[in-house]
Amino acid sequence: MTKISGGHLVAKYLKEAEQVTHVFTISGGHIESILDGLTEYGLKTIDVRHEQAAAMMAHAWSVYTNTPGVCLVTAGPGFTNALTGIVNAHLENVPLVVLCGRHPIRDDLKGALQEMNQIDMVKPVTKWCATCYDTRRIPEYLAIAFRQATMGRPGPVFLELPPDILFAEIDGGSSPVVPRRRHKTATRPIQADLEAAARIINAAQKPVLLGGTGIGLSDCGPALKAFVEKTGIPFALINYGRGVLPDDHPLSLSEGGFTGITSGLPVADVIVAVGIRFNWVLQSGQLFPNAKVIRIDIDPHELDRNQTATVGLEGDAGTVLDLLLPLVDKRDHGQWVESFRRAYTAFMTTELEKRRTPSDPIHPSRLVAQIMEVFGTDAYYVADGGDTTYYGLSGFSSVHRAGVQIPAGGLLGCLGTGIPFALAAKLAHPDKPVIVLNGDGSFGFNSMEFDTAVRHNIPIICVVNNDCAWGMIKHSQEISLGHDRCTCADLGMRHYEKMVEGLGGYGEIVTKDEEIIPALKRAAASGKPACVNVVTDPTVTSQATILFYQSFSEL
Amino acid sequence: MRLKVLLFGLYWLLWFSSKTNASFKKFIRKSKVRLMIRTADGQFARLFVFDQGKITTAVGPHHAFDAALVWKDAKTAFSVMLKQNMEAFFYAAADGKLKIEGMPVYAQWFDAAMKHI
Repeated sequence: MTKISGGHLVAKYLKEAEQVTHVFTISGGHIESILDGLTEYGLKTIDVRHEQAAAMMAHAWSVYTNTPGVCLVTAGPGFTNALTGIVNAHLENVPLVVLCGRHPIRDDLKGALQEMNQIDMVKPVTKWCATCYDTRRIPEYLAIAFRQATMGRPGPVFLELPPDILFAEIDGGSSPVVPRRRHKTATRPIQADLEAAARIINAAQKPVLLGGTGIGLSDCGPALKAFVEKTGIPFALINYGRGVLPDDHPLSLSEGGFTGITSGLPVADVIVAVGIRFNWVLQSGQLFPNAKVIRIDIDPHELDRNQTATVGLEGDAGTVLDLLLPLVDKRDHGQWVESFRRAYTAFMTTELEKRRTPSDPIHPSRLVAQIMEVFGTDAYYVADGGDTTYYGLSGFSSVHRAGVQIPAGGLLGCLGTGIPFALAAKLAHPDKPVIVLNGDGSFGFNSMEFDTAVRHNIPIICVVNNDCAWGMIKHSQEISLGHDRCTCADLGMRHYEKMVEGLGGYGEIVTKDEEIIPALKRAAASGKPACVNVVTDPTVTSQATILFYQSFSEL
Repeated sequence: MRLKVLLFGLYWLLWFSSKTNASFKKFIRKSKVRLMIRTADGQFARLFVFDQGKITTAVGPHHAFDAALVWKDAKTAFSVMLKQNMEAFFYAAADGKLKIEGMPVYAQWFDAAMKHI
């Protein structure tokens, strides 16, 4: 009988049972056997420079491919470094499978290298976590991990694998790896609730559909398209739902960005909220105090959170939309959609002018518009930072699912997500341009991953919106404390493009409006991971900063 | 003329509330906002300055502002503003009778402040 080590069994399972193709990792002694297994079974390893980036890239891989991302980190600091990425995935309900090294079982409580209680640390931020103590049970534990990550409301899972079981060899046949059956399960709302929801939708005069990550993870483009086109409901998609229907769809409100979404919600009479939480991003539902609200969510606990639903429908987004479709009337809300668009255009007067007008110093809205001019909607965009995320979300537009993402702007508000997300986007869609707009502050967190990009030939284009400061914080301090009392908010002018050049990529600095487009074209033509460092107006404050500041002012 | 009176009256309402209305006082106490309300031709224009609880005003279209509600004409401005209704503002914008210059988030802030009065 052929022998197989625990580490190789892990790799065999990933490949044969789950069809995993990429694993995001950093090498480490405790996990050496798994790394060798990944080589043996031909899985692509993307080794990064900090475990945080490994977790974030695996998270992003889930988003861009709709298959669970896998990261492999070593014990101790490998684990703690990855923790921020795990928390981010937890708050964003993303199916992330974290495989982690551990000190040997035989050394428990002896003060072994990197001995720590990882399980108790990670438990509150995962859907499921466990330690496998038996080589033969590795496939069983991995199967549970993948089921937990993907079924129901998705989320990160954590499996600890001690070296004692990874280096041990067993008979290959004693622990067979079989393809995991994907059970199709569906929770469906009761018929009376579906009919009640349909009555509200059919009577609506000014409805809006708000879609979130639940739509993206459901991958329900056809169901959503059929629903909005039959009911005529305009829609705004955010988070990982963005782009499930393209931004240029006639009923999409996404082109207005944040201003667009918020300008008309107070007058909407019906909100259909699909796979979206009423958290701070939607001001806990206070944006539409007078509307009837139909909430669709795979997690029943979300149906009344922060605002009681008029009708709550538990289930997968696509499944519920399919169930509603025969019950809703064919409607035309064209006039309402037009009014909505004209209203937010009127509200965005200055922002639209900024986009059109060359500026010196460069206005960030103008920078985003120039990036769009070069790469258009057939590209993937990521924005990372404080103010920078506002400009990215407002100005970028894509026809692709998850084509515009601000992974730093969610619940964790975690800077540094941009470059890992862009790398994963490029790996998942190598034939499309991938652009990450980074603040100069956020660039610092994971910019060393340009080394990863160079080693693995992942030619993303990073545009630094360089205002030489932690802009959102600095402007908040200016408002609240005064210009002369800003603390820890300045960064100074740094040549980030030279840093990228030094790592083997392509770099340019831009200080004038007319230089933006040629520099972006040269960066794309270089075929290398590129950084275009654009010096922008340090005095510009975004709308997001005002909201951020105001939220604290009312305390 | 009626708009001029309305804007002046609005200033006094804001000033009075900043002295007597605890909820309003709390809302505006840390904010620095310069909100302009004017007609497109600039004939009617008043700036409302909120400076950490203090409210002052200035007349005329040429003051710096954070956000400006620019009305097509005085009659529209008067009728819509009197309604104090978000829907009326929304449709005024949709019908090309109102635009917001500067940052609309400040206009939203002003609307939120008015809800305390």
